[in-house]
Amino acid sequence: MKMIKYGGIALKERDFKEGRVIVFRDAPKAKYLWDCGVAISRFLKGLKEGKIIGRRCFRCSRVMVPPRMFCEVCFRGTDEWVELSDTGRVNTYSICYVTWDMIRIKEPQIPAVIEIDGASRGMGILHLISGVKPEEVHIGMKVRAHWKREEERTGSIRDILYFEPI
Amino acid sequence: MGIIEKINRNNDIVFWKGEIPVEFLYTAGVAGERFYRELRDSGKIVGSKCSSCRSIYLPPRIYCERCFTETDEFVETETPGEVYTYCIIKYDNEGNRMEREEIYAFVRFPGVTGGLIHRLGEISPEEVNIGMKVEPLFKENRVGHIDDIIYFKPYREK
Repeated sequence: MKMIKYGGIALKERDFKEGRVIVFRDAPKAKYLWDCGVAISRFLKGLKEGKIIGRRCFRCSRVMVPPRMFCEVCFRGTDEWVELSDTGRVNTYSICYVTWDMIRIKEPQIPAVIEIDGASRGMGILHLISGVKPEEVHIGMKVRAHWKREEERTGSIRDILYFEPI
Repeated sequence: MGIIEKINRNNDIVFWKGEIPVEFLYTAGVAGERFYRELRDSGKIVGSKCSSCRSIYLPPRIYCERCFTETDEFVETETPGEVYTYCIIKYDNEGNRMEREEIYAFVRFPGVTGGLIHRLGEISPEEVNIGMKVEPLFKENRVGHIDDIIYFKPYREK
């Protein structure tokens, strides 16, 4: 019985361009509707009104943002909506010279996790930092949300354009 | 307790609408490449033959699933093929009613394991029957795609 190991055949961009290999191209329509649930629905509506909304658990006293209806520490439902400030501190950040779809950019994007003031430690949202030189960004830096104008807000995380230093 | 909080008004439901950009290039592999090349260059439907158990696979594959041996021989399938089963299509991918019904059939060939799923042409849905003999109609300008076969049509002896 003959057994052969196939190491695979490496294909290069050139092989596709020069038509050395038969290739099928397609782009499936990957559309989706995501149900935001009770907590995130309220959160997004808050953003439309220019507010950042969290949720408190009475047992552990944590204030969570983004809000959730269930406390994973106490294993019970959370209790109360809390309106938070639109300021916070940089928990962690990154300086990106490549966009999500792999396009090289000169002016870097600075995504960061912002710990929102009024929420418990370590609770924050991922957003962009702008209005500051990349080398001046630091962990613990105080920032404030820069909102879209009220009539332009749609109930999206992008209703905050970016966070800027105070 | 929060867990009993519910959305009671339809207008309060928030959903996020998005689209994920997905693109792909698919290569058919060693045996698939051979299949499409033969289709394009010589207008043949080829299967792969196991030298150990003599099974012929269509579409071709590079190993025999019965013997675990390499199927290194490619052979042209004999026509006519035979309609093994068929389906009459009235709605397109998007769920819209099509103007013209299409018939898709699983076509098998003599002595071959497997077969091809393809359109039937030159026949009305009422006339199709399981076991009927069919032969492929090839395009003039072939590119190496299953649509190089326009459709399978009822076989007429020459």
